[in-house]
Amino acid sequence: MALKDFRPMMERCSTCTHCKFIPFDKIKSIRFAENCPSIGYYNFNTYSARGRFQLAQSILDGRTDLNETVTETIHSCTSCGACDVTCKVCRYNLEPLEHNIELKAYAVENGKVLEGQKPVIENLKKENTMIPKAKKANRIDWAKDLNLKDLFKEKAEVCFFAGCKYSYDEKLQKIAQNTVKLLQSAGVDLGYLGAADNCCAGRAKQMGFFEEFDNSANNNIKAFQKSGVKTIVTPCSDCYHAFKRQYAKLGLEVEVLHIVEYVDKLIQEGKIKFTKSVPMTVTYHDPCHLGRLGEDYIPWEGKEKKILNQIHTWEPRRPRYNGAYGIYDAPRNILEAIPGLKLVEMERIREYSWCCGAGGGCNVSNPEFSQWTAGERVTEANATGADAMVTACPWCKDNFLDAVDENGNKIEVLDIIELVRQAM
Amino acid sequence: MALSREIYQALEDIVGKRNISEDIGVCETYRSIPSQSSAHYGPSEHWTPLPQAVIMPGSTEEVQNIIRICNKYGIEFKASTTFWATMGYIGSDYAIQLDMRRMKSVEIDVKNMTAIVEPFAVAATVQAEAMKVGLNLNIPGVGCSSSTLASTAGWAGFGPASIFMGASPENLLSAEWVLPNGEVLRTGSLGSGDGWFCGEGPGPSTRGILRGIFGPAGSMGVCTKIAVRLHPWPGPADFPTRGTIPAYKADMGDNFKCYTLCFPDWQSWARSVQYFHESDVLYIGHRQFTMFGRNLKAAMLRIITDPDKQLCDLPTLLEDEEIKKQNESMKLDYQIVIAGMTERDMEYKEKAVDEILAQTGGWKNEMMLEKDMHDFALLYLLRLGHKNLNYVMCGAYEGTFGLSGNVWKTIQVVEDAVKIKRDWEINYDHIAATGGDSAMGGTSALGGGGWTGWEFFTNFDAYDKESVRGTCKFIDGNQEFQTKHGFGPDFCRWNADVRHMNGYNYTQEEHDEIFKNAPQPLVYAYQYKIREVVNPNNLCGSYLRTLTPSKAK
Repeated sequence: MALKDFRPMMERCSTCTHCKFIPFDKIKSIRFAENCPSIGYYNFNTYSARGRFQLAQSILDGRTDLNETVTETIHSCTSCGACDVTCKVCRYNLEPLEHNIELKAYAVENGKVLEGQKPVIENLKKENTMIPKAKKANRIDWAKDLNLKDLFKEKAEVCFFAGCKYSYDEKLQKIAQNTVKLLQSAGVDLGYLGAADNCCAGRAKQMGFFEEFDNSANNNIKAFQKSGVKTIVTPCSDCYHAFKRQYAKLGLEVEVLHIVEYVDKLIQEGKIKFTKSVPMTVTYHDPCHLGRLGEDYIPWEGKEKKILNQIHTWEPRRPRYNGAYGIYDAPRNILEAIPGLKLVEMERIREYSWCCGAGGGCNVSNPEFSQWTAGERVTEANATGADAMVTACPWCKDNFLDAVDENGNKIEVLDIIELVRQAM
Repeated sequence: MALSREIYQALEDIVGKRNISEDIGVCETYRSIPSQSSAHYGPSEHWTPLPQAVIMPGSTEEVQNIIRICNKYGIEFKASTTFWATMGYIGSDYAIQLDMRRMKSVEIDVKNMTAIVEPFAVAATVQAEAMKVGLNLNIPGVGCSSSTLASTAGWAGFGPASIFMGASPENLLSAEWVLPNGEVLRTGSLGSGDGWFCGEGPGPSTRGILRGIFGPAGSMGVCTKIAVRLHPWPGPADFPTRGTIPAYKADMGDNFKCYTLCFPDWQSWARSVQYFHESDVLYIGHRQFTMFGRNLKAAMLRIITDPDKQLCDLPTLLEDEEIKKQNESMKLDYQIVIAGMTERDMEYKEKAVDEILAQTGGWKNEMMLEKDMHDFALLYLLRLGHKNLNYVMCGAYEGTFGLSGNVWKTIQVVEDAVKIKRDWEINYDHIAATGGDSAMGGTSALGGGGWTGWEFFTNFDAYDKESVRGTCKFIDGNQEFQTKHGFGPDFCRWNADVRHMNGYNYTQEEHDEIFKNAPQPLVYAYQYKIREVVNPNNLCGSYLRTLTPSKAK
């Protein structure tokens, strides 16, 4: 869809303000009632999903141009989808997240990008990664000595896809290595793409760089197909979303699992057994792209059909992505299975979780905004009294590591695999 | 005329660079188009004027300083919070928009049963904080996304719980009010340094001037903080929600019950409402789900309580014999919630409901007694968090007719209104065909009962201009009915005499022409005098209905 195709949504938005809050039925306090980092930080209505509909309409109508402020506004969205979830509590015919990303793509098409985005996209094109300055030549260094099968040379049951963050970030590489060891010790026949392992480019899509995403995705799909991959397991929530939702649209037909789903399954099958107590109280942060954006892709082609004069429906029935069926239980099952560990929940969880701030490439393009967003979550985590915040995404973890809460306090941030390893 | 650099700099000095913008993209998002969401203004394809700047004050002092600048340079200003309704937007070209989003504190005074709130504290957050200490507030029918301050100090503000808690005029206590001339007036007990607990005094008793029955809709300066009366909440500290989005439900325990009461005819219906007014047993009384239309409500309830259903399931559901049966059962209905403060209180209230049904020949709808349906409806009515379902069918709606008043008068003509709407649904395709009767509203808009506030939900497509224009014709036609039966302006034209359909303010001369012929013109002349005192430069738009005193007959 092009931006102009969203005009019916722009004109059918009811300006109701729901997009600025978590679902109202779930509000437990004024402190943690809001859902959108963008309007939360910048405050102007323009930054809300409603504001973005209206901004786009004024651009299409020629009343607004893509000036510097407008460009920054458009890109100051973490593409977390929180607005989308709340909007759809009551609406069946609006797609705020899809629109927000399309508006970014419109700006990109018109050459309006942020300085911080340039090195990210340039490195995607040059080195096949969205980590600035990282080199393709070093991408699989993290996997040395792990005895991972190269799927272009031998067959394996499962393709492990670490993703850029785990591959290059020295703070996080050990988690990827431990994940591989964990799966191997559970008897999983594991391989990887070896030299053909490249960035999923899912974040390029979130940032509105559609052409760059399509190029990377099509190359990666060919690599998966050529190597005969049947199941992809990834510890990165962004990669998970890219493969499961975005690649599926482009024709990728493989099973995609996040590591939490796979480990949960292995625990249930008795292939992972915990032997040590981990006496901690933790709280779990739902990554947006694993939770509300982690639903299965359902192919659909159809058109709007009005019934009873003016009631909007779709023919055939259109799939509805509203976060209802994201991956929420698997990580909680794992945490609850760890002896001695106590899970306490934050106020904003599951489909209405607050974003970590790294989404949409905002950690590089709008670092202050991104860190404020992370700080808000650390405040919420600290309010639970937990010893640590656990997550299942390297982008979330990395963004939380430097964040402080409203009182200047930090919190220990753990990847869920780190806890699993501690308990074994 | 753009703001001069001197003025802009003066405003920026007040709030800081980060909290003011004159960027075209930002300002464009502070315009309202009444075809999408107007609230009592009617569909219109005109945008409200573009503000010269948007400014976000963070304190009463900043509001005061902004208003002083506006007075100095003759700039119109209007404050708003959630930016839902057209009444929150400016009405002239030389104007600035105040976005009150940065001011959102909630302070609960348990002892005095009050909440002291700032503008961007929406009702859901005020309720969440109040529930923690066993208290609750009247949430207006528009839903919990509304600003408690704006609806309490600035608009009608009646809702499902008004029968127990009263409406906004009854719930406003002390206020911190920045007058349109920049002075701060602390009303009621606050004005004498005695805290927020009372709206009448000791101290200036100005509630009638500040808001009256309907409120000035932002035309009398800016309230930066008010106290609202809280009421008993015999429930848990937060809603124990369950279920898959969007079909959230809550099991509230044995001391909360939600019933859909149904009646064989309107006479019985009205008698039951009267008995409830007299018996004082309801926590909530509201004709809620008929907003989906008499023909669709059972099917719509099935859709919105099932996360896997969509509007495309309507045709199949409407053929279902069970759905038809339930629709017939609920044809003349309303919802109630009873809340037991004690076990005995709950027993008494259950008995009272049953007795009223026995005396009026009514019954409880069985579909609405199903566990999931009950828990959905109960949560819906207690929090009003699904109120945007108002828009679910087409994306836009207007409340039409407006049969507000004595229930015995209302029921005499309600079926005539139903027929007018149903004929329009059949003969034209501008509005959704939902069954004529889509009358939604409180069984009482006053504490204790006595006055209904109904609107017929009329759903149309704001993107389809034929639908918008057809809806306007339908509404204009309804006015004949309204006038004939003495109900005044159609519900969605309530604000048509305070803002032109092109989005601009009325001039005083235009208002004089309108209000000199009003039934009680001196009321408007009195309001003119008040405005002269507190708003000498007339800078807050034309939502305050005024008549030049010399023009009063």
